[in-house]
Amino acid sequence: MLLPRCKDSHRSAAREPDRAKVPANIYTAPMLASAELVNYLPVALIFVMAIIFGAVNLIGTSILGPSRTGGEKSDTYESGMNPIGTARRRFNIRFYILAMTFLVFDIEIIFLYPWALDFAQLSPGSPEATLFLGRILFFIAMSVIAYIYAWKKGVFRWD
Amino acid sequence: MPPWLPQLIASTVVILVVLHICLGAAAYLILLERKICAWVQDRIGPNRVGPMGLLQPLADGLKLFVKEEFMPKGVDRVLFTLAPILTVIPAFVGFLVIPWAGMLDLGDYGTVAVMGADLNVGVIYLVAVASLGVYGVGIGGWASNNKYSFLGGLRASCQMISYEIPMGLALLCVVLASGTLLPQEIVRQQLDGQWFLVQQPITALIFYICLLAEANRAPFDLAEAEQELIGGWHTEYSSMKWALFFMGEYVHVIVGSAFFATLFMGGWSLNPFWGWDLPAGGAWWMILLQFGIVLGKVFALIVLTMMVRWTLPRFRFDQLMKLAWEGLIPLTLLLVLMTSFFVYFGITSWLWVGSLGCLGLLWVLLPVLPRSADPNRRIPLVGSRFSPAE
Repeated sequence: MLLPRCKDSHRSAAREPDRAKVPANIYTAPMLASAELVNYLPVALIFVMAIIFGAVNLIGTSILGPSRTGGEKSDTYESGMNPIGTARRRFNIRFYILAMTFLVFDIEIIFLYPWALDFAQLSPGSPEATLFLGRILFFIAMSVIAYIYAWKKGVFRWD
Repeated sequence: MPPWLPQLIASTVVILVVLHICLGAAAYLILLERKICAWVQDRIGPNRVGPMGLLQPLADGLKLFVKEEFMPKGVDRVLFTLAPILTVIPAFVGFLVIPWAGMLDLGDYGTVAVMGADLNVGVIYLVAVASLGVYGVGIGGWASNNKYSFLGGLRASCQMISYEIPMGLALLCVVLASGTLLPQEIVRQQLDGQWFLVQQPITALIFYICLLAEANRAPFDLAEAEQELIGGWHTEYSSMKWALFFMGEYVHVIVGSAFFATLFMGGWSLNPFWGWDLPAGGAWWMILLQFGIVLGKVFALIVLTMMVRWTLPRFRFDQLMKLAWEGLIPLTLLLVLMTSFFVYFGITSWLWVGSLGCLGLLWVLLPVLPRSADPNRRIPLVGSRFSPAE
């Protein structure tokens, strides 16, 4: 069952801007970004600009720069030693385990954001707020247990 | 005229202006960094090209542009070329949601936000985009077919994902206290009240540390530790490919500083405490003034970052991981809990008490908590394998 949102609670009333401070029409336009997709057009624009910037730089330098090969030049630089074998080899399992642990915590944080937004809109001390707080305490307690388990298993031990 | 058109035009103008400021600043920040480095180390620094070395960035850029673009044998050609672009894109697209000034009053056309894009996901967009930077670094290290690059790429990816968690949790504290994801709204609450730097000093400190780590800046530049890894993941890169990596790092620092200024220093807010402050918008001259204030704060933070780089020694990798996983993450979890209790009781303006309380709690708890063996323990020389007697 969904809880009713307490939009007009005393908390959000306290967050209303001080309208005397600025010209009235500053706040008549909604400061909330609308959900319209047209707002994401600049994102596409900047992505295209960044790709073009990178590509132009790479192409330009490959045209302008000299190109000489031969001898030992095409070896990789490994402090002057002759490189032995390929570099794509097996590496320490720690990195993999750490990435797995990271996924757990990152997804946990993603779940926390929507909760935080709704929780901050509830009026302080109301029963809904208590319920929300209890739920998140349970959620964080679960991940703390996982965290302690990982710590005891030595996931974070790198020495 | 459709109602979204003024915002789109404003966004385009902001993108063009800020992108050019970022690129120009990235070039001149390198000069500034060399000057600061010289100052710290009691040298003069670059002073040959132009007055006081002011033309040095141009000379460097030109030199890099006409250098040979070299690809050693055994590299993965596609990924090797792709990696610098993958580094530049996240660095460039991040600044879209930074509010550079308040709402610009256009009279009949309403008001527009002076930011790259007025997105409803707000700060989450920046965090999401910034974490894409790990791909460029990891792919660059893997594609190089160089063991040092590979290690550098691994270290960098590991470090960036590790510090993303305390960063996200620190951001969550701000979202909890402000109740919104929109950066302009977060700034407005700091105009009305205190800066979040004053309200949540510990969170701000942790967020700044994570910014340094995310941008691979010293003392967290393990990925390119010269003494151990030559140049880290960009060992095999030359000319503009290398310059793109370098530029990406500096733009990352600029965007990170702007993000910090927005979240914790109130954007264009002048008063860290309650009371008088600049309005949340206005005519063009007010917008210019606010833009100048934001740029000033960003510049101050960048100089701080550089001073940190040339003052502190580099971490060791196990210390770095220990700091993230056994230090910052529990601390930020504690801060999130503390913040949610303050929000629950509706006393967010007293959060600084809670912040300091957390620190006090740690002060008491840390000595009695069980600790793992100290990797830095002193081993007696006699009897060890370094003993000169044997």
